[in-house]
Amino acid sequence: MRIIIVGAGEVGFHISRRLAVENKEVIVIDRSADALKRVAEATDVKTIKGSGSSPGVLQEAGVKGADILLAVTDSDEINILSCYFANQLSKDITKLARIRHRDYTDYANLVREGAIGIKKIINPDQEVVDSILRLMSVPGAVEINEFAQGKIRLIGVNLPPDSPVIGTKLLNLRDRIGDVPVVIAAIVRDDELIIPSGVDEIRKGDVVYFACDIRDQDDIIDRLGIKYEPIKKVMIVGGGNIGYQLAKALDNKHFHTRLLDNDPERCQYLSEQLDRPIILQGDGTDQEVLREENIGDMDMVIAVTGDEETNILTCLLAKSLGARSTTTRINNFAYMPLIDPIGIDHLVCPRLSAINSLLHFIRRGQVISTASIKADEAEVLEAIAQEKSDVVGKPIMELDFPRGSLVLCFQRGHDVIIPRGDTVIEPGDRLVILSARNNISKVEKALDAKMEFI
Amino acid sequence: MRWQFVLHIIGALSACVGLTMLWPLMWAVWYGDPGVMPFIVSAIITVASGAALFFGFARSRKGVVSHREGMAIVALGWLAAGIFGGLPFLFADTFPTFIDCVFESLSGFTTTGASVMTDIEAAPRSILFWRSLTHWLGGMGIIVLSLAILPFLGVGGMQLYKAEVPGPVPDKLKPRIKDTAMVLWKVYLVFSVIETILLMFGGMDLFDALCHTFGTMATGGFSTKNVSVAAFDSAYIDYVITVFMLIAGINFSLHYLLLKGRPKVMLRDPEFRVFLGLFLIFCTVLTVSVYMANHYDTTADAVRFTSFQVASILTTTGFATADYELWPALCQGILLFCMFVGGCAGSTGGGMKVMRIMLLLKQSYQELFRLIHPRAVSKVKMGKTVVPDDVIRGVWGFFILWIGLFVLAAFVVASTGVDVVSSFAASLACIGNIGPGIGSVGPTDNYAHLPELAKASLTLCMVLGRLEIYTVIILFVPEFWRK
Repeated sequence: MRIIIVGAGEVGFHISRRLAVENKEVIVIDRSADALKRVAEATDVKTIKGSGSSPGVLQEAGVKGADILLAVTDSDEINILSCYFANQLSKDITKLARIRHRDYTDYANLVREGAIGIKKIINPDQEVVDSILRLMSVPGAVEINEFAQGKIRLIGVNLPPDSPVIGTKLLNLRDRIGDVPVVIAAIVRDDELIIPSGVDEIRKGDVVYFACDIRDQDDIIDRLGIKYEPIKKVMIVGGGNIGYQLAKALDNKHFHTRLLDNDPERCQYLSEQLDRPIILQGDGTDQEVLREENIGDMDMVIAVTGDEETNILTCLLAKSLGARSTTTRINNFAYMPLIDPIGIDHLVCPRLSAINSLLHFIRRGQVISTASIKADEAEVLEAIAQEKSDVVGKPIMELDFPRGSLVLCFQRGHDVIIPRGDTVIEPGDRLVILSARNNISKVEKALDAKMEFI
Repeated sequence: MRWQFVLHIIGALSACVGLTMLWPLMWAVWYGDPGVMPFIVSAIITVASGAALFFGFARSRKGVVSHREGMAIVALGWLAAGIFGGLPFLFADTFPTFIDCVFESLSGFTTTGASVMTDIEAAPRSILFWRSLTHWLGGMGIIVLSLAILPFLGVGGMQLYKAEVPGPVPDKLKPRIKDTAMVLWKVYLVFSVIETILLMFGGMDLFDALCHTFGTMATGGFSTKNVSVAAFDSAYIDYVITVFMLIAGINFSLHYLLLKGRPKVMLRDPEFRVFLGLFLIFCTVLTVSVYMANHYDTTADAVRFTSFQVASILTTTGFATADYELWPALCQGILLFCMFVGGCAGSTGGGMKVMRIMLLLKQSYQELFRLIHPRAVSKVKMGKTVVPDDVIRGVWGFFILWIGLFVLAAFVVASTGVDVVSSFAASLACIGNIGPGIGSVGPTDNYAHLPELAKASLTLCMVLGRLEIYTVIILFVPEFWRK
């Protein structure tokens, strides 16, 4: 299988590495010799120097016999053009492009259909905005993942000290909170991830991950005794694409939004485009500015400038001045493990989400999507139960699943079902499975759903 | 500044005005009233002098109209129209002095509706028709009319259009200015025809229906009766006129889009919403206030008379069905405030325009907001559109000049011995193109008793108000005349 990657930036680099490890024939095109050198040194791929929007270069890369084209340069135009020429040169190639600007994403059908024919548009900025909005929709949540096209959610929350479930064994959970369809997927205690069984007990200070139908979400949060004030006052630092889209999404009467940016011209533009948010001009690391705008009073401070040092500093300042929660944007993967220890509540990374989306799409076997929780210690898989698979037709308690892995829930038709021990899985059910990282291959085996590629 | 070119265009405008005198002439012939000769003479003089200017300077016509020339053409063109338009009154001996004739004529063209006629019903019907017709011509604008019908004005017509159309930023509905002007006149014509028919259903004859339609659609206010619309004493007619006064007070671009099947644009337009909101709030307050003071026996009557007066003053029409000077002081205060506000930008109404008041308030709020958030970057917006800073500056300048000239004119009127309330009211009613004020120029009085100097300065006020200050006042700035 041959995959052509246009653009050897951070996204191109990481995705080529992941694909090359999985024994794919990867060709990377970039205009910068330095970027290509970095890729070539780190991974076993072929590199071609040139513009990805040039038909000649695409031909040289062997676009004719290739299966997939990933256009992931920083420029939307080059990505679109590159897909256009690839489409002209080789009709059957599957094209994925990273497109961020609203000028194009608002007209997604125009680039999907016709002469360009992009199969999937990856818009990491939008995904980041969506994930921040998701976090804001559940105050107190540390992490929210969505499955089955948003029907099923896996939510991690800080349990308040007065929660009625504290001291309860999971076996008896329903006695405490009533018969609601919910499953406790994982517990993080003292920085350690526990995939619990019925005898485990919920304790004070735990972060609890639970899976449920999105329609039951508010009810469950209520029953768990989580009563955080809804997020109203938001300060966004950085008025780039993400900051702007976020402010736009919060441009309604439910939020008091402030948007801080350093560039006077950008501020002018933002103030023209946005209605309610207050646009401020100043430096996110300048204490005076933050104090003047009462950053300590904010329910959430979101630092999404292009500069991660600034983002981290802003969040730390905000935290020290009393802001309720902070979210930072990170580009460099090396910083990720630092975020939690230094006290920043959430992190978002557009590049990582771009890479994940691309991989999810490429690995279109029976495993539909994966998401990692608690910094990769465990992974959530979403897969469709195949007819010949071992899991079908047996009650769940008899499944040959490794310890530390469990079926959280599944979707059958339009219903979300939270399984009990005697529930039987049918072919076509869309399963959401949580597994500790070291058991994933065993789970895949049980599912008979190896990471197959298109 | 090419004088000959300016006079050439003014000649064309004057000839057009002269031709419109044929319409009242037809009524004069039909009724056999003494207006026949005056209209024939006036039309001949006007068309002849217009043609003389037009053909005399025909060679000067080349190039486009510059910004300065545009303003000179519009300001002087209006003055010429006012003077020529006064000729029928002069020849028919309607008024004792020439100043009175020009006052009445410009009061018509500027859609003010302030009259120096003491007994309206005694005047020949052709003269009354001419008064109302000047309203209708001036309402949508004689320049806009000329742009629509005179092919050679197309190039550079935008300068003329900007100088005449009310509001801080004129809308250009069509790519070509000629088509824009045409569209506006068509909309104007459609509403006029509808109103005429509706008024005839209410029992008016064609003559009265036409004259009142002209007065309504242009937000003018000349009636054919001594006691204005009250003479018909019909709730139906009152409500028809109320509705059409409001229609005339709304931006005609919105009407155009409404007729094109896009009513949402109107409903979402912030100026329209504020305009309608003001009308409804004021009506409610006045109705309650008037009803509590026992002026009317039934609520229906109170609603009927207050809504008519509020619409009449807010849109700066100036028709009357009740003497609001007898109403409680609060009502008079509100009506006085309405005189300042006026209609929407791009309507035929006068006053400062709702749009400008909104921009001034928004801008003032911005200043407060910046005191609270010193680093905030914010823009004044109308709906979703950002209002450029130069427009805001223009509005501030307009506001200061408007108030300044209104006060100055009031001082001049007061200096002639008129009492202070009437002086201020007359000045406000003229610069706002309203017509009736309070005091000795109230809804049941007229302007005939004022001294000549007062009339002359009020005439200037009317033109200043109709052309929105800048176009006229610029002629008095020395810098304008420097090469």
